[in-house]
Amino acid sequence: MTPRKRLRAPLAILTVTGLALTAACSSGGDEGDGDGNGGGEGDALSSLSIMSPYFAAVPPEEDDPIDQALTELTGVDISVQWVPNTDYGERTNVVLAGDDIPDVMVMGKTPAFVQTAEAGGFWELTDYLNSGDYPNLVSENPEVQEATSVNGHVYGVYRSRDVIRHCIILRADWLANLGLEQPQTVEELYEVARAFTEDDPDGNGADDTYGFINPAWPGSIGSGSPYDALELWHGAGNVWLDDGGELVPSFTTDAWMEAVEYERDLVQNGYTNPDYATMDPATWNEPFLNGQGGIIIDVQSRAPQLVELFREQDPENAESYVALVGQPEGPHGTFAMPTSGYSNFLAIPRSSVETEEQLEQVLQVLNDMNSTEAQILLNNGIEGDNFTVEGEYAVYNEDRQDFTDQVSGAWAQLGTNVAGYNAYATQPATPYDEELAQLRLDLQAEDLENAVFNPAASLASETYQSSGTQLDTLISDARIQFIAGQIDEAGLQDVIDRWHSQGGDQVIAELNELYSELG
Amino acid sequence: MATLIEAEAVSGGADITPRPPNRRNVRETLVRYRWLLFLMLPGIIYFLLFRFWPMYGAQIAFRDYIPFLGIEGSQWVGWEHFETFFTNPDFPRLLRNTLILAALSLFIAFPLTIVMALLLNELRLNILKRTVQTLVYVPHFLSWTVVVSLTGLLFAVGNGPLWTLLNDVLGTDTNFLADPAWFRPLIVLQDVWKNTGWGTIIFLAALAGVDQEQYEAAIIDGAGRWQRVWHITLPSIRSTIIVLLILQTGQILNTGFEQIYLMSNALNRTVADVFDTYVYFVGIQQGSYSYATAVGLAKAIVGVILIFGTNWLAKRFNQQGIF
Amino acid sequence: MARVKYRFNTPAGKAFDVVNVVVLVGVGAIAILPFLYVLAGSFATEYELTTRPFFLWPNEFTTDAYASILGSTVFVRAFITTVAVTGVGTAIQLALTALMAYPLSKIDLPGRRTIMSLVVFTMVFSAGLIPTFLIVKELGLLDTYWALILPAAINPFSLIIIKNFFQELPKELEESAKIDGANELRILRSVVMPLSKPVLATFALFYAVGIWNDYMSPLIYLNDTSKWTLQMFLRQVTAASSLTAEDLGNELPPPAQGIKFAVVMVATIPVLLAYPFLQKHFAKGMLIGSVKG
Repeated sequence: MTPRKRLRAPLAILTVTGLALTAACSSGGDEGDGDGNGGGEGDALSSLSIMSPYFAAVPPEEDDPIDQALTELTGVDISVQWVPNTDYGERTNVVLAGDDIPDVMVMGKTPAFVQTAEAGGFWELTDYLNSGDYPNLVSENPEVQEATSVNGHVYGVYRSRDVIRHCIILRADWLANLGLEQPQTVEELYEVARAFTEDDPDGNGADDTYGFINPAWPGSIGSGSPYDALELWHGAGNVWLDDGGELVPSFTTDAWMEAVEYERDLVQNGYTNPDYATMDPATWNEPFLNGQGGIIIDVQSRAPQLVELFREQDPENAESYVALVGQPEGPHGTFAMPTSGYSNFLAIPRSSVETEEQLEQVLQVLNDMNSTEAQILLNNGIEGDNFTVEGEYAVYNEDRQDFTDQVSGAWAQLGTNVAGYNAYATQPATPYDEELAQLRLDLQAEDLENAVFNPAASLASETYQSSGTQLDTLISDARIQFIAGQIDEAGLQDVIDRWHSQGGDQVIAELNELYSELG
Repeated sequence: MATLIEAEAVSGGADITPRPPNRRNVRETLVRYRWLLFLMLPGIIYFLLFRFWPMYGAQIAFRDYIPFLGIEGSQWVGWEHFETFFTNPDFPRLLRNTLILAALSLFIAFPLTIVMALLLNELRLNILKRTVQTLVYVPHFLSWTVVVSLTGLLFAVGNGPLWTLLNDVLGTDTNFLADPAWFRPLIVLQDVWKNTGWGTIIFLAALAGVDQEQYEAAIIDGAGRWQRVWHITLPSIRSTIIVLLILQTGQILNTGFEQIYLMSNALNRTVADVFDTYVYFVGIQQGSYSYATAVGLAKAIVGVILIFGTNWLAKRFNQQGIF
Repeated sequence: MARVKYRFNTPAGKAFDVVNVVVLVGVGAIAILPFLYVLAGSFATEYELTTRPFFLWPNEFTTDAYASILGSTVFVRAFITTVAVTGVGTAIQLALTALMAYPLSKIDLPGRRTIMSLVVFTMVFSAGLIPTFLIVKELGLLDTYWALILPAAINPFSLIIIKNFFQELPKELEESAKIDGANELRILRSVVMPLSKPVLATFALFYAVGIWNDYMSPLIYLNDTSKWTLQMFLRQVTAASSLTAEDLGNELPPPAQGIKFAVVMVATIPVLLAYPFLQKHFAKGMLIGSVKG
């Protein structure tokens, strides 16, 4: 062994010690800024920690100008623990198991949350929010706030979302080629799907097109899939149907059966993409762009995305490809599919915010964070830095695009906007974009009148908490198997019977009990 | 420091002999093995701290664990979660699917790794050998998310290159991603593609230790290519093969979650559901950590029994075993 | 030595060589093609990615995706952090594993069977995320890089394999060192370690890859975003395809496919480059014969 080699081990030890020291120092220096509250037990808070998911490529850091502006605005030192959205759930569970729990956490109404809330882990806010002491936290949509509750108990300030988002997106050029009107009913929609498949909408003389594009949906029933929408339009209700004061599952109704037969015919006749059961939702736009398929049932915001992609391909005619149509009339009436109207809520754990005084202070901060001034900070950014105001619109500075992305991908996640959205909308790039944006608003207003809400949204049944995922998957799998022709009506009925016997009956009983209590 | 080592060694030494150790013997043992025991100390501390201490948390298998209430604060429910698991109507199907996938991995993927290592070892041109080695281990670094979306691309109905090729060859019009009959072949294919090259690394490390003189002597004795592989190369990696085999039997109920979850869909779920995906749905999505832990514990017990069993078998056949 | 083999190659042996080369080159190509697609895709425009099914060369070449990832200082910092943690972590993990494996390779070590049984048990059963998190917290390792290194310091699988390799080494060498008066520490350093280079290099690679690809530990143990490693930033982009409409804000478009591919490249290429460096240890191996002589 050479002397040179002998040196290596001590060197390695030195390196290790060096790392140990740096790690220890830096952790010492930063201690206390990410967790816990500023004051001791019972004291007023001097800082507020919030845990939130983010979607941006990179989360904001402690010296972020928005952070500073919020701290100034609310009078407490705000610090946010940003967690990548993809693994947010995992992180929340671990955080709840420890004792450094943030003062405010963005939470969803998962079974884990319901358990924790019912065990007293989060403050119940119902009375505080209804008291009017926090004007910016008074919901403009009480039914949405109701839906966020657990059996009537509100545990968080919800993050408001558009109530109507679903629509039908069609190839406008194909409609024009075939001389078809925009479909207004589900029968007309079926006819368009047929024509898009059989009547050569692109005029190339080949039989190479189909109507509907459906991806393999990641969620089960009641998760906003195209199938859910079609069933609701047929009058099957939204997951649950109030049938004369009694809740019944949508999939036990005749309207649901009618809808899945409609869906099956679309597939069996070739009016739907052949890989509807396996297509990656991330590639949903492809067949539409490539001229293979012409109908997408999804959220409205997909339409401007498609227009952008067509612009890359064919800037001249980009505006002639995409038609955005409102939700159609069904055979038994007009029903529109709403979203839940919210995406998670800001909940306040009792182990970090211990006294009522502290709770009131936290709510006051959340109230301040929902003022118009704060909404602009959270949604638009810093005026004069990354955007300027022109009329009613925000115009973004392209040199500060990274910062703007961070605002919309991270800070906007803290916005609740329960009392209305008062920040600036982005200025549309072209007159066409402005028209499209206006059309979306019009359709939202129109469909909102016919919106069918889930009557059981706020109800938490114990059996459903513990086996709901399996029960739901049973039905959504059977639906696809029926559509694929693998099982017939009797086979579908067998699965529904299994649903009943494996816990579904209990879910029905428990929900109806809660429904009559709270209704 | 010294007392700590001694304490460690006493508890370690105590369990080889059932009768209470004689004071003198303990002392002698300690002195004799002092260096070895000293070397092992950091490892022992590691296992105690990070592997065994957390195991007190395994008791949540017998509770209804709610993180906020803490482990002791959560309600004790005894064997409830185990009963639910074993009486679950899907249990036989989950077991069957899990075992089939494990068997395919054991009988196809594992031998292929050995064959691949042997073939690589037979490559003469060093530059070629290194290049191929580097190429085949690349797929290991793509996450399952990426592998599955690439599979989706290659088997896309209508324009996927492999979809076109396979259907032309078979004269069919199948959506391979949805057909239950194709689920297992695809899983094995992905597994082989992703991990075979990587798996060869361990064998190549073992082969690097083979005494080159043995080959020379064999050549002089007139041994052919195949004889050299059979009599020199294979025996030199035999113990590695056996150890890996024993360890793999312990993993028989672990099929991995991500790959199968991402590859399953409404039409192939009857063959795709395995313990790991089931635990994900029931344990993680429905927030029941206790249930997930109970299943993990049950699987671990089976795994330990299998490892000890195969290890015992290996020893009976005069192989080294793992301990 | 290689020359000796050639001289004694038979026609059948030569035929085998040809077939072997063809097969392995084919296998290599199959292994690398999808990766090349991801590489090509990372330089393609979003429009091309959504319209062309599979390609190995983009029609229109763009580096936008890389510019958007590599442009940020945060990324550069995370990259340096990750390289440092991986380097130091691998050294620590490998050292701890080898130190424990060596005594366990001695068949006469008292308590060996018990310890091995317990090690095997930890390989099959791990206590899970939350209990481990609580211990790491208890030890005061939260928000330190130690949390990324120590909880996974000794992989039971690696320990067993390395122990097995040590056990296979010819005993005579150790015996003669002992007779020369060397203690175990010295034998490990000057006899066992040099002879085990290939296997140590292999497990160095395993550990390095483990740390490099780890996103769970930083997610759970690091609050401070300024300490985050590469995977924390990369995973967000690659895993986002499962997003449904409800998750997103009203207008946030999903990340572009091209960026996803670029991220895969950025995350993979550095650790791919590590392999050829370690490879020379495999090829060198150790010539037991010459040591003997």
